[in-house]
Amino acid sequence: MSEVLLAALRLSVDLADHTVLDGVALTASAGEVVGVVGANGAGKTTLLRACAGLLPEATGELSISGIDPRRTAPATLATLRAYGPQHPTSAWDYTLAELGQLAPSAEAFHRWCARFGLGASATRRLSELSGGERKVAHLSLSFCALGDAYGKVLLLDEPTTALDLCRAELVARAVRASAQAGAAVLVATHDLAWARTCDQVLVLSEGRLIAAGPPETALTAELVRATWGVA
Amino acid sequence: MKRPAGTLALAALLLALLALAALACGSAGFGWGANGELLMLRLPRVLAALAAGLALGLGGANQQGVFRNPLADPGLTGVFGGALLGIALLLAGATEFTWQHRWALPTAAFAGALATSAALVWLGRGRSTAKLLLTGLGLNAFTAAGTLLLAARFPEARDILINGAAGDWLGSATLELAWLPILGCVLAALLLLTQASALDRLALGEDMAFCLGTDVAQTRRAGVLLTALAASAAVCLVGQVAFIGLLAPHLARALVGPRHRAMLPLAGLLGAGLLLLADTLGRSLWTHTPVSAAAMTALLGAPAFIWIASRRHE
Repeated sequence: MSEVLLAALRLSVDLADHTVLDGVALTASAGEVVGVVGANGAGKTTLLRACAGLLPEATGELSISGIDPRRTAPATLATLRAYGPQHPTSAWDYTLAELGQLAPSAEAFHRWCARFGLGASATRRLSELSGGERKVAHLSLSFCALGDAYGKVLLLDEPTTALDLCRAELVARAVRASAQAGAAVLVATHDLAWARTCDQVLVLSEGRLIAAGPPETALTAELVRATWGVA
Repeated sequence: MKRPAGTLALAALLLALLALAALACGSAGFGWGANGELLMLRLPRVLAALAAGLALGLGGANQQGVFRNPLADPGLTGVFGGALLGIALLLAGATEFTWQHRWALPTAAFAGALATSAALVWLGRGRSTAKLLLTGLGLNAFTAAGTLLLAARFPEARDILINGAAGDWLGSATLELAWLPILGCVLAALLLLTQASALDRLALGEDMAFCLGTDVAQTRRAGVLLTALAASAAVCLVGQVAFIGLLAPHLARALVGPRHRAMLPLAGLLGAGLLLLADTLGRSLWTHTPVSAAAMTALLGAPAFIWIASRRHE
């Protein structure tokens, strides 16, 4: 049985007197890709941010490789998990070469860029890239921050949003490859077809976990109809 | 590709030449005097302008980095105003004490700048750029009004405060008066340079910076504290000078790109050069009625800033 790298129990988050995550439980083991799905506002982003240690006000039990990310120094935490936000931004108009210098390894960053079809673009500025290209540039930073994936946790929030079919497929392969290299991956997505390829799926609705397990049992036609209102 | 090391070296060389020219220029004409007496007379003023400009350029770059906002400038967001109000309160409340203790003025300026910085962070919290800048403009207006009110109520402090508000204190710089603020400027500048890596990561957003291992709260605290130190020390030397903290980082980014490792030191060198050039021109072109460094800075900097702004795409 694979080692559990990410575990949460009764995880709850209240923001501005509103409960956005309500008693969620999950585990993600090495080698596993766990998909998080749900309608807009279901709490997917909050769940990923809480797991990344970005919400110290989150209550309940939470651990990454046995330690609580809410009580761990950022530098230590960065060696245990990597995170890709839903809407990556940059205050300044970096070139890809400059962006790579912010990564733990510029060489690895450019390898990831090339893998996502952004090779030979080092002098291009972020403002000169399309929305999808910018997204994969920032995703390269997240994959690069993961480094050697073995025993680490990768948290990606809607990584394929704004990507064309080809790049979305490249990202999905990279996610699977990270899991195969020994990472536990938690990925929020609206792409139910991708979610059905995950090892486990968590379905959120209004901050609550309404289904969890292998996709064939968690993502039933009835649940899809009830959650999204479509067949 | 931009070459940061070459650009920094060139900027440092030009600044050294400018400093030599500034030491040789003045109302008494060109030269250093037969026995170097003009040189010694001008030296405190030149050193004060260099140190204040260095702190202003770096302080502006740091505030822009901390707030992730290219329009942030301690001169516009009320931090200078807070420093001057701190000085005004001390002069109004304890004039004799102020002149008896060399550390009193810089301490009051630092307290005022820190209080305004804290108010800016607290009142302008949230993600809105407009909210932060509007809060800063409000604080700036409030602190300026407070200083002018104290200047009107306390005649013994009136001239010095009015000159301070006009950014016209460089002319009264002596080594005895200026050494402590100069030390404060240099110390703030050196400490601000250590923030480069954290500011680079903060540019990617607080979440991403945290996940890459940066202590975001600590970076913000250090940024606010060091900007207040830089601004208060600079205000003690020059008075209130807006614009250098805005212009120097923009020029630096245009020359070496946005990475703070190269941009921060260049913003400091450019800030020093801009203030020294403005002061030298202001006292050399109109020898009988010298123009304040603040006015000359705006005259020189505004067209350059508009040109830079017009070239930006975002």
